[in-house]
Amino acid sequence: MQYSYTTPRRKSPITPELQLLFIFFGITIFMLLATYAFLLFKDYQFTQNTLEIEQERYDLNISLHEMDDAIVFIQKQSQLSESVYTKNTVLKDSIANMFDLVPSEITLSEASLLENGLVLKGITPNKDVYNFMLQAPLRSIFHRSYSSFYPLSNGWLRFVSTNYIDKEELDTVEEEVDEDEN
Amino acid sequence: MKINISRQSIYLLTLSLVLLIFVLLFAFLVLIPEGKNYREKRVIVKKERSELRKYQLYNNETEESLQELQSKNRHIITAFDTDFNPSRFKKQYSKYFSDLSLTEGVNLSDEKSFVVYEVNTTSKIDSPKSFYDFLDALNKSDWIISVNFPINFTRENSLIKASFNMKVYSNPSESNSSTPVVEEAL
Repeated sequence: MQYSYTTPRRKSPITPELQLLFIFFGITIFMLLATYAFLLFKDYQFTQNTLEIEQERYDLNISLHEMDDAIVFIQKQSQLSESVYTKNTVLKDSIANMFDLVPSEITLSEASLLENGLVLKGITPNKDVYNFMLQAPLRSIFHRSYSSFYPLSNGWLRFVSTNYIDKEELDTVEEEVDEDEN
Repeated sequence: MKINISRQSIYLLTLSLVLLIFVLLFAFLVLIPEGKNYREKRVIVKKERSELRKYQLYNNETEESLQELQSKNRHIITAFDTDFNPSRFKKQYSKYFSDLSLTEGVNLSDEKSFVVYEVNTTSKIDSPKSFYDFLDALNKSDWIISVNFPINFTRENSLIKASFNMKVYSNPSESNSSTPVVEEAL
């Protein structure tokens, strides 16, 4: 038997107000959590980036160190080779000067170039030619010059000329050359 | 006066308050410190990146200068790396001499952190000019070689016998793995 003309309203524990509340807070909490997740992800990403940057810096540091060493070594090689080349050129000039020093009247049989001296052996027609044309220039170059003569059967003289530059003077000259090069 | 609030409204209000408190607590205790941390880290990473970029630039500049130095000194670098080979030396320089012979040398102590190998040389030349040409050619050789005192020139008929010492410079064993093969070659 029906007592009312209206149909009964179905009752539910989740009322429309409650639904609205849940939707509102649901969206709010979702946004908060999403922001938190984003921040956590970024934090992780920054940590990874920092580690990568540190690793890159470490690698770069090693590579820089190696390159610096290589540069220093090449510079050392270059300096040494330059000094060797200069030494060879100076030696060539010294030998050329030595041969130019000997006049055509005198014939050399042996020449020894030493670190600090020069020994010449040869024959000369007479002492005057030797003294004026060879001994004089040698004396102007070397600090100490010694000569000895041996007569030959044809009237010429065999001579041995020993000439030295004092070591102290030699060191001074070398120091000056080094300073000029630097 | 009696305020008539339904039980459902009270429940709704309580739930709203609880959720609001949760939101506020979460925001102030978790989200804001984390956000602050994020900003700080972002600044640090940015700074580190810019420093790394500067470092990379410096690294590139150093690399360029190294390459320039290498290309400038290519001949010297190769010469220091090349092992002295007496037979090749004779082949290359015999044109300056009527006769050229090298005698067994010795490894001298390291000089300026390079390995120095000494070779005694005996040769015959027809004029001093040949020796000058040889010294000029030595400066363009495949090795770094210096001619040292004492140098002896002795007349032998129409030729001049020249005997002298040569020092061959090469890289130390760490950078030049192969040791000189001079003794075997001699």
